[in-house]
Amino acid sequence: MSYLISGLNIQNISDYDSTQSYNKYDVVDFQLSTAVASYPQKGVDGIRFWFNNEALSDFSLNQDYDVTSWTNKVAADSYLKQTSEDDEEKPYVDFNADYLELSNKENLFGNTFEVGENINSRTIFICFDPAPYSYTTFDNQTLMHFDTSNSFSSSYGKLEIGGNDSFSDASFNTDGKIYIDGVGYEAYSKIYNTQNIICITLSKSGATKNLKLRHNGKQIADLNTFNDNWFNSYLKIGGNNGNIGIKYYDIIGFDGVLTEALIQSYEKYLFETYFNIEGLFFAKKDVPAGLETSPLAGGGGTFYWTRNINELFNLSYGSSVDFSCKLSTTDFDDGYKNSVARNINPITATFNFAYDGLTDIEAKSLIAFFENTPEAKKKSIYEDFEGVNMELFTPYKKDSEIYFLDIDHSTPYNNINSINIKGESLYDSSLDYKGLLVQLDEQYIRTYTSSLEGFEYNDVVYVDSSVFRDRGYYYYTGDSVQGSLPEENGPLGNDSHFTKNFYFKQDIDYSVPSQIRLRNLDLESSTREYAKAGINYNVLQFDLNFSNRSDREARAILKFFDSKIGYNTFNYTLPQPYNKTIKVYCPEWSHTYNFKDDHSIKAKFIEFKSAADYYAGFNSIVTFVP
Amino acid sequence: MAKFFNYKDIDFRINGSIFYAEQVSLSAQASVEPVILSDGTFLNYAPKGAVVGNLSCDFYLNGSFPSFLDVTNTDESAVTVSFAGITINNVFLKNVSFSVEPFQPVLISAEFDWYSNILFENMKEQSNSARQSKPIPSYIAHSYKSYIDQNNFYPDDPNDSLGNVVSFSYSTSCDRPIFLKVDQTIPFRCAKLNKNISVDLSANNLGKIVTTKGKNISTIIYLKDFYGQSLSTFSINGVMTSQSYSVSSGNYMLSQASIEKMITEEKVLV
Repeated sequence: MSYLISGLNIQNISDYDSTQSYNKYDVVDFQLSTAVASYPQKGVDGIRFWFNNEALSDFSLNQDYDVTSWTNKVAADSYLKQTSEDDEEKPYVDFNADYLELSNKENLFGNTFEVGENINSRTIFICFDPAPYSYTTFDNQTLMHFDTSNSFSSSYGKLEIGGNDSFSDASFNTDGKIYIDGVGYEAYSKIYNTQNIICITLSKSGATKNLKLRHNGKQIADLNTFNDNWFNSYLKIGGNNGNIGIKYYDIIGFDGVLTEALIQSYEKYLFETYFNIEGLFFAKKDVPAGLETSPLAGGGGTFYWTRNINELFNLSYGSSVDFSCKLSTTDFDDGYKNSVARNINPITATFNFAYDGLTDIEAKSLIAFFENTPEAKKKSIYEDFEGVNMELFTPYKKDSEIYFLDIDHSTPYNNINSINIKGESLYDSSLDYKGLLVQLDEQYIRTYTSSLEGFEYNDVVYVDSSVFRDRGYYYYTGDSVQGSLPEENGPLGNDSHFTKNFYFKQDIDYSVPSQIRLRNLDLESSTREYAKAGINYNVLQFDLNFSNRSDREARAILKFFDSKIGYNTFNYTLPQPYNKTIKVYCPEWSHTYNFKDDHSIKAKFIEFKSAADYYAGFNSIVTFVP
Repeated sequence: MAKFFNYKDIDFRINGSIFYAEQVSLSAQASVEPVILSDGTFLNYAPKGAVVGNLSCDFYLNGSFPSFLDVTNTDESAVTVSFAGITINNVFLKNVSFSVEPFQPVLISAEFDWYSNILFENMKEQSNSARQSKPIPSYIAHSYKSYIDQNNFYPDDPNDSLGNVVSFSYSTSCDRPIFLKVDQTIPFRCAKLNKNISVDLSANNLGKIVTTKGKNISTIIYLKDFYGQSLSTFSINGVMTSQSYSVSSGNYMLSQASIEKMITEEKVLV
């Protein structure tokens, strides 16, 4: 049992077995093979060459960070090099990457990679991640090329990739191919924009030859004829004029043909080191048995298996979110205050994702998904695991990265489960002019132009003006219009039907608590004494409820708060009997999606006692006493 | 000109099977709440849940009891009802009941919830040929031969017995909570909750009085047609919870009893 499975509080999750069929919502722990990963040891197993960039000191760098040579890890006098004066032929090294990318003319070559004396066999592993040749073409690209001289003029001894590997259905046919000496063999899984491991074993004894080609752990070709160039000493990688690039992670060559067990161990090592495919997979439909339907198998894999929660479960009504702005507030005398955002993204959005009506099998799958989220791939070399890509509920964005924090599972009856997951959005930013989570999506919130058509009350538009004061979001308060608006009724018109102000009305039942700011002097053996705290002793702080609002109005209200980022002030007219317009800001608000066209929003408003303008003045005199 | 349908022109089917119904009624209920704003103005009526349809029917059992009318099983799937030319999908059974009264045919009552978008204006009469080609049922459940088994009725006490049963009724019901995905108004699941069976019977004698735990009963109800052709059986292992005796002027004294059975399912390990 893997540590992944043993770490879950869920029973009956097993290692993936391609000979078994699975049911929708089944959870498996996928590994390339059951072999134990083995690190190829220097000096044993007949390693002839090994190139990777785990030791940057093996690189020779000029001041442009161009690679001029790539030292063989297992033989210091052996290397791949680039001696050309043409900078375009020299690869650029990315110090933060664990690969060397060769694109366009970039290439490296060397000539000390012949098979040892009296040895007529070799085993080669290459771990790489290629882009297609271009954004629109899938021409062949050479991964590696053995030849008799550094002219590399022969068309033999070549390992290439090519063909369009996109899948359109579950038929598992792919045009993605791996080529040996120009002959293509169907790839086992997707080739482009993902890591691949190719293993080639070569042997010859007199006229008898054998070449076996493996792709991601599966043998895809067994040949008895191939060119002798594969045993030559000159090796070149890259040099595909005009291509986007191929990332080389590891290239390892052994003398002799390794045993199947060793090959599997080294493939497993490469797989665990560079792939993000190992781990839990979730069946999104019933899965027939077979290698073609394994999680790794390109179209078959993605057709049947997923790690995307949006493909497995749908949110239920009752899902909600709490917004809170992290502010450092300084209270001055006379009721003034200064609230400064603590960082560039001060708003924390904490979601409660409701999943209701789950069967036991579905609940098991969702709980396993939740418990396994820390096993997601690393976000970067500086950060830990990635969050969950969530399609948030209306009216929020559909691609937010959420970190799952808590889970609450309840079951009212047999085979009926309710699960609530609490998660935080950390990487959505208020700096995005499109919005934090209620975004300018050009569908429900559109950029205003004079030709924009169709307006309903509470529609939100974005005005992209070069004038800072005019730029921003406007809210339509006119009657329904099918066509476009005349200029005077536009957001910036003289008789505008739009507003930037807070025009929404809260529920009929409201309360406005008020507390006078007083100083309190409570001396012993004396009567308590109250004194007014400066000139602004009536500073309001109250909650507003907007219950049972339509999708359109809820979107407008939430967009308004979203665009104010928790600390920007705006005018608010107090209800009866106050009826006064005051400056407020809204550092906290929450939203529950009750039902289709039924949202409830709660907001905390805090009165701000100064001009809500670009320049805020204070009427207090601050005297510094030496 | 307004169109009125005659009963004989209405075709009523569940899952394609013809039901010889005595009455069918169909209704829909929206759940809304008025929204009133702080300035006293009315905003709108906010929807608070899916539109729930109700379908009830009384029909004659003319064959074995169809499995899709079994409330107590674990099958949550919907049935399809066609009524006056319109098809209603997502119809979920809630309860089924019948009474066995002296000299009366047995009429089955069934009630369903439904969640569909249907167009009532598309209702139409069935054609004469369709009406005339309907098969005539061979069997109809009847009280004359239907009965409740009284052997070993009180399994815990061989000295206790039931007297002569005059009439009885049988009812199975469950709650059907619905679950919806966000942005949807048609449920993706209509579960079964609180499934139970209840039997009420009248007899001249009910035996010993119930104890604090009620009185366990075990019986089978046999539904047969007038000629003794067996149509369906219903097993009950429940508990008698109430007994009453009453007499009125000009009548015999009769006793009434209520029997309950909560249906449970053992969880299947996943």
